[in-house]
Amino acid sequence: MDESVAEYIRRTILKIPREEIKTMLQKWGFLSEAQLQTINFHQIKDNISQEVVQLCEENCANIKQAAVLDVIYNHIYPNKRMWSVYQMRKTGEETEFFDLTDFKKKFKKFLRSALNNVTINFREYEDNAIWIRVAWGTPYTKPNQYKTSYVVYHSQTPYVFVSASMLRSNLPLLCQALIFASNYHDIREMELRSHCLNSLKDIVFKRYSQNFQTYCPRPLQERSVAPETDLRIIQQNRSEKERIQRLNQELFGDGPLPKLEFAQYKLETVFKSDPKMGVLDKKEPFRCLVKFSSPHLLESLRSLAPAGMADAPLSPLLTCIPQKARNYFKIRERKSIVPGSFVSP
Amino acid sequence: RVVPAGMEPGQGALAPAGEQQGMMEDGKVHSASGLFAYLEMLEAQAHEAAVKQEEIEQQEEKLAMLKKKVQELRLQRDELRAKVDLQGKGQLGKEGVMSEPAQPSSQAVLEWKIKSVKAMLQIFYLTGISGKLTKRGVCFCISTAYEGTYLDSYYLDLLIKPEVQIYRHSIPVFIPLEQIAKKYLQTDIRRFLSVLSDHLNAYVGRRFQADRLQEQFPEQIEGPLQRNSLCNLLVFKYYVSSKSKTFSLTARLLYGDLCHSLPTEAIVSCTPDAPASLAETAAAHSDLFRRMALHKAFRSFSTAPES
Repeated sequence: MDESVAEYIRRTILKIPREEIKTMLQKWGFLSEAQLQTINFHQIKDNISQEVVQLCEENCANIKQAAVLDVIYNHIYPNKRMWSVYQMRKTGEETEFFDLTDFKKKFKKFLRSALNNVTINFREYEDNAIWIRVAWGTPYTKPNQYKTSYVVYHSQTPYVFVSASMLRSNLPLLCQALIFASNYHDIREMELRSHCLNSLKDIVFKRYSQNFQTYCPRPLQERSVAPETDLRIIQQNRSEKERIQRLNQELFGDGPLPKLEFAQYKLETVFKSDPKMGVLDKKEPFRCLVKFSSPHLLESLRSLAPAGMADAPLSPLLTCIPQKARNYFKIRERKSIVPGSFVSP
Repeated sequence: RVVPAGMEPGQGALAPAGEQQGMMEDGKVHSASGLFAYLEMLEAQAHEAAVKQEEIEQQEEKLAMLKKKVQELRLQRDELRAKVDLQGKGQLGKEGVMSEPAQPSSQAVLEWKIKSVKAMLQIFYLTGISGKLTKRGVCFCISTAYEGTYLDSYYLDLLIKPEVQIYRHSIPVFIPLEQIAKKYLQTDIRRFLSVLSDHLNAYVGRRFQADRLQEQFPEQIEGPLQRNSLCNLLVFKYYVSSKSKTFSLTARLLYGDLCHSLPTEAIVSCTPDAPASLAETAAAHSDLFRRMALHKAFRSFSTAPES
């Protein structure tokens, strides 16, 4: 077995939390159950990985098989990577019969024809997600297994989730391979990025609760009424609180929101000040970048008004994030008599 | 469940993932302990089959009972209608003061109104398409079902001014919503909803069949069931037994019409070295797949006596 393969397997095992190593090796399926029984999973990870590498030597693992373990790891811990969303377009209107074998063949063929040294792995999951791992090399060097790109694609959808930790020069090639394999015509990067892959999927697939008004015959879930703590306390702002709650519910819905870590607004608007103050001599756009960061941005926005930190309703620039499927905005001056600003598409 | 990746040939075979049952690996019985294990497995299979059969029978019984109830209620309704008509006619004949029926309390009237409105809404929900007027338009709810099982509901929030447009929705992204909207939304909204409802119902129907197949016949399917988001192309290998030998067939089901939950094309092929009788079986299965639901087709030739 190649020394580099051994090293790669060793390093991959070291990334996995100790309690999870056994289950992941089982999912990998490369080592037999009997072989797994011989490993002591209670020792330090260094020793576990050594034992695993030894067993892989016995089975003569190659890099493609080792790469499968990496795919499994990234599928279970996708939030360690930064994901961007790409949107593909096609002009035809024929029904797509997405054939997985066909897709894989075309993707591999396209990449291999352009670049000889690539390692490509596919793995399909129950939710129709196809995970693609690509390790990139050059005509003169072997693929770098530590700087891999991951692509997650759900068949018959125009969205692709890409985590590309690699030289930007290979990105166009990857995009071209994707549209070739999936029979689309072009692809563009959306202004939507996050570490949480599932939340990105929720946003573009519209899987989050959008609070539609319907006559739902299902019984309304009784909102648990908090017991009155003290009858001597009178809520003076009850109507205001209820108004805020109602608006919040209209804007954000009731259920869990997709998890985004930031929203970025690039302002190219002119600074508006009292003419007498004359802060700026020229009417130039005041370049400014506003970035909201949070472990869970949308949830924190939802709680702003009830916490009294912002007026309800919140600015549509904030509340449109899931619906517009973007968290990067450019705000320019609206070129009309009425001063204001508009968001570029 | 995770499906093993497609590997390049010649790279070394991966042992099947642990989830795959080892039953079909080795049909031979090696030792006494193996024999008992085999018998146990047969017993478990028989038990499972009996449980499934019982479930089916229970469901059919329930359905028959509900149908009977519907009949009874219809009869009751007709009787009451006849009574009301009779009373009306009778009253017209009389002159003078009509005896006032006892006034129901306003509370009872309100309760009755609420009950009938709820029933009306329930009916709309059961028809599959219901809607509610919103401030700026209408919000439609398309509820899907397949052969007696209610499945997901999807929503469409429409604006009416300046023209009919979709404000937001929860339709899955692989349903060709834009195409359907382009064709019908402006001109014929009924047709738009009907076509969209057909697409959605067919999709959930196909998905339901594929899920049932994987769930109810895991030992008969060899390897992963290749499907896609729309569930309009299914490719899988499955086992048939004939004269106590098992053979492998490959099925490729193409659902050409997105508004239907049965395949337009069903190609069942066998390996070149298979006996001629198998080719007949393959043709029969192909026909079966095109005519009936996938899991039902499997049930029919699984329980059929072996030839």
